[in-house]
Amino acid sequence: MEIAFTYARDALRNQEVPVGCIFVYNNEIIAKGRNTVNETRNATRHAEMNCIDDVIAYCDEKSIESKYVFENVSIYVTVEPCIMCAAALYNLKIKQILFGCRNDRFGGQTVFDVSTVLNPVTDVKGGYRADEAMALLKEFYKGTNPSAPPSKVKIKSIDTKLV
Amino acid sequence: MISSKRRKLDSMSTSINNVTEYSKTDECASDCSKVLMHAVLPDDLCEDTPLVEVYVDDISDRKNISKAVVAINSTFPVQELLHLKRVRNGKVLLFPKSICELSEVHQFLMKKGFDTSLLANNIQIVRVAKLPPKIKSQYEKVNKLWPCNFHSNKYLERLVTNSLFDENEMELHRKCMEIAIDVAKHAGNKYNSKKVGAVVFDPKLKSVVAIGYDLTNRNPCKHAAMVAIDNVAVTQNGGAWDKREQVIVNSLNTSGIPKDFEFLRDKYAKTISFGCHVSNDTDDCKAFEDGAYLCTNYYAYVTHEPCVMCAMALVHSRINKVFFGAKSKIGGLCTLCKAQTIKDLNHHYEVFCGLLERECINL
Ligand SMILES: [Zn+2]
Ligand SMILES: [Zn+2]
Repeated sequence: MEIAFTYARDALRNQEVPVGCIFVYNNEIIAKGRNTVNETRNATRHAEMNCIDDVIAYCDEKSIESKYVFENVSIYVTVEPCIMCAAALYNLKIKQILFGCRNDRFGGQTVFDVSTVLNPVTDVKGGYRADEAMALLKEFYKGTNPSAPPSKVKIKSIDTKLV
Repeated sequence: MISSKRRKLDSMSTSINNVTEYSKTDECASDCSKVLMHAVLPDDLCEDTPLVEVYVDDISDRKNISKAVVAINSTFPVQELLHLKRVRNGKVLLFPKSICELSEVHQFLMKKGFDTSLLANNIQIVRVAKLPPKIKSQYEKVNKLWPCNFHSNKYLERLVTNSLFDENEMELHRKCMEIAIDVAKHAGNKYNSKKVGAVVFDPKLKSVVAIGYDLTNRNPCKHAAMVAIDNVAVTQNGGAWDKREQVIVNSLNTSGIPKDFEFLRDKYAKTISFGCHVSNDTDDCKAFEDGAYLCTNYYAYVTHEPCVMCAMALVHSRINKVFFGAKSKIGGLCTLCKAQTIKDLNHHYEVFCGLLERECINL
């Protein structure tokens, strides 16, 4: 989780929503990333989506089947995956997801429970260093970031309760 | 009165604008059936208004009707039922049944300071609209149960009666979906992938901003809508999957449309332009601040119902409207859920399904 946090902090330095993420497969980190929404001008480039692309590149390079890799990946992400990312990760049959704080605006459990429609095999747990993850988000949303999409600036209170 | 209204509604639905007559081309040659494109409505518009049980009592002396109404309104206003009239045919609406037992109603009113001698103590339980009706058809049903206030919303009425778009607009929607179908066919053959196509359209410019197609045989997240969203980002000098320089054609930036799809421009040149506004550096900074690099004000046309991931990606991108042809068993706009209507999200878009449905199913 500490490594995921270094990516979240890197996002903050680069004026991106501070979410960091790593994918672990066979005790090896095969993907690490952060939000690149502003950098790519693409609102879907969340840390998890960037990591999925990294895994594809990793598998292509090693000529291994990505399907099998995804099914054995553990994800550490500082903030609860949003509805989009949760759907993507459930479709990939990711083994487990450990997240930090809840995502009150877009969360794939909190705002709309994606598991009720996709029947995932993924094990999802939250609350790991939630306060720290939250503190990073709060720092970002203090309004010091002129390049964030307007919606994200007006973030409401975010729940830090454990799952 | 009601029957003439009913007839009017019926004639509206048969003379509806949103009729697709299949063009007599290749596989559809024998099929001239008419198919409607229609809005995928939020649940509270396609369902009846929820009801609630309330106590009603007769007013003992008809001369006292207005006195009784003033008295009940001042001693016991029911905040959650303000959309209902308080009196009908000499009967007064007291309060929801959930508040107390029938035998305690008068006692309860007395405690509130209401003069119960105004009532005949002939208490009945009546089912009434729990919430204000949103559309005329809902209003007509609940108003029969108990008189109800109703403020008609012209836009919603057009949405639910399938008369939002005029024939010119429908022609444009069909053209855009035809392009999405062409994209699906061309990409499917070229990349040996699933035939799903997407078009992002700027309705102000009447121009195709970007296209997308399924590439899930390379990357499981490369659904047509996701690829189209990334190609919109390319037009803003961004993009994660593809990066292309701005290409200016007829003073529009066509970098959201990969080179292999330039044939579309020739095919549809008569009706639709291709490309988006060319932004210079200062505009770019401004757009960046406004968040205008998202798909704000754009429409998306997708041959198949977007899945939950894509549906939410379109929310993140602030798309204005989504049109799709064929429903999908993993669809997130109508089949599994309606992602566009999740209350707690900060953006919602309208969804229309069944546009060139047969052609999309046949892909
Ligand atoms: Zn996400
Ligand atoms: Zn999808």
